[in-house]
Amino acid sequence: VSPEQLPLPVTHGSDEPALRLPARAIPMQATLVDAPFDDAGYFFEPWWPGIRAFALAERGRLRLQADGLADADATFSEIGELLGQLGEDGVVLDGTLLVLDDGGRPDPALLRARLDGVPDAGRPAYVASDLLWAGGEPVTRRSFRTRRRWLEALLAAGDRVMAGHGYVGDGTLVAEALATLGIDALSARQLSARYRAGPAGAAWLRAPIIPAEPRGRPTLALIQRLPLGD
Amino acid sequence: MARSMWRGAIQFGLVTIPVKLYLATESGGIGFNLLHQKDLSRIQMKIYCPVDDEVIPRSETVRGYEWSKGKYVVVTEEDLESVPLKTVRSIEIEAFVDEERAEEQGTRFVKQAYYLEPDEIGRKAFYLLKSVLEETGKVAICKIVLKDREQLAALNPFMKTILLTTLHWPDEIRSLEELSLPEDEIEIKPSERKMAEQLVASMAGEFDPSEEHDEYREALIKVIEAKVAGEKPELVAKAEPTKIGDLMAALEASVSAARESRRGGAKAEEKAAKPARAKRASSRKAKEREEEAPAARRRKTA
Repeated sequence: VSPEQLPLPVTHGSDEPALRLPARAIPMQATLVDAPFDDAGYFFEPWWPGIRAFALAERGRLRLQADGLADADATFSEIGELLGQLGEDGVVLDGTLLVLDDGGRPDPALLRARLDGVPDAGRPAYVASDLLWAGGEPVTRRSFRTRRRWLEALLAAGDRVMAGHGYVGDGTLVAEALATLGIDALSARQLSARYRAGPAGAAWLRAPIIPAEPRGRPTLALIQRLPLGD
Repeated sequence: MARSMWRGAIQFGLVTIPVKLYLATESGGIGFNLLHQKDLSRIQMKIYCPVDDEVIPRSETVRGYEWSKGKYVVVTEEDLESVPLKTVRSIEIEAFVDEERAEEQGTRFVKQAYYLEPDEIGRKAFYLLKSVLEETGKVAICKIVLKDREQLAALNPFMKTILLTTLHWPDEIRSLEELSLPEDEIEIKPSERKMAEQLVASMAGEFDPSEEHDEYREALIKVIEAKVAGEKPELVAKAEPTKIGDLMAALEASVSAARESRRGGAKAEEKAAKPARAKRASSRKAKEREEEAPAARRRKTA
């Protein structure tokens, strides 16, 4: 037996060996800004209306660490499907837990119902936005651009779990689109920034989206008018 | 395209050959979910403490190792983290051994087979290694860290690649001592041997895996298909999923609609057909320009 074998006779069975991921992930906290903006150095995506959650996958086991939730794994047991979509082991994802209604839109009422213990309320989903660990190694020192690319490479899209879509540069455009979806904030991640535990500074910004009247209405009018113009 | 489950490098002496690993086999079993008989909903497993007679959250559980009957020592995350483990992503070749000798010494007890795929820069060395193994009839015995555990493995040439099979450690292989195997005590008459040889000869043939089927699985699928056919209406209604992908598609659609509307706004501005709209569009653009600058400033102060 090699010296790298466990000296302690810990019976992990064959499938429950030493955990190497941190017991808990320490969240990066976004900085609030006043309004959406355009910047080619940022990646813009919806601030999904759900619960911030880390997914820690190791050795065929998934742990969900969610804000203020003692047992997220049981509350969102369906998210266990995530394991089958990962190309690597030893992975920590940062993302958002959502509960979708029959139309596929995030529904805060169904989310509350689920948190109150209604086990089959809505359809839970998880949108991954960032990657903290991959292959059993931390990747937080890498730029967001790199982490994002790796995230897309190692997480295959599934029915409930996928890497969220986002757009580089066009923050105000994405904000306009989100206003029509009824989403009230925009997430902006700096492509060159590493992941920091705690306050993000400029690395991650949250901008509120206020569907102001003069903005919202002409947008709709123009969409409807377009086919005639061409 | 298949997804590699590991990437690293074969290493021996000063040679490093970067490779990817792919699972060579998949499980053909049929998976079932446990449902509540009454309403066919997926059941949940709750963690139950018989002493307190209550369901407890996973966060209140710890790992215990039973070191003697009913006596446990708690093993914490820190304890596990202190266990030295190699995380090097390499397949370290320990020795090249003769194929036949290797089999006697335990390469028969395999766990899982993986295909290797060389990275572009390693192709030449990879095929050189493969052809040398083929010509000399050797197996490479190696160690690899897979899923954070060090595993013993063998490398064998296989068709257009090299097969890596993980092996059981010698102390995981059970001894034959406990079984009743009195081979030496059995006497066999020449006529009996002859009959057995004839029987074997009459059934000699080639092994064609494509002729072998998991008949149990096939029969089970037939049973399931018949049930699905009989119950279709209800199942289809229940299984209709609203997918997270649909939400992303809605996002894509509204972003491209917003983009189109901006383009439309710009067009209207050029034509100046409707002054009111053009004015609004241009004022919106001006507003964005205003916003961009303060946003940049705000970020610096943040």
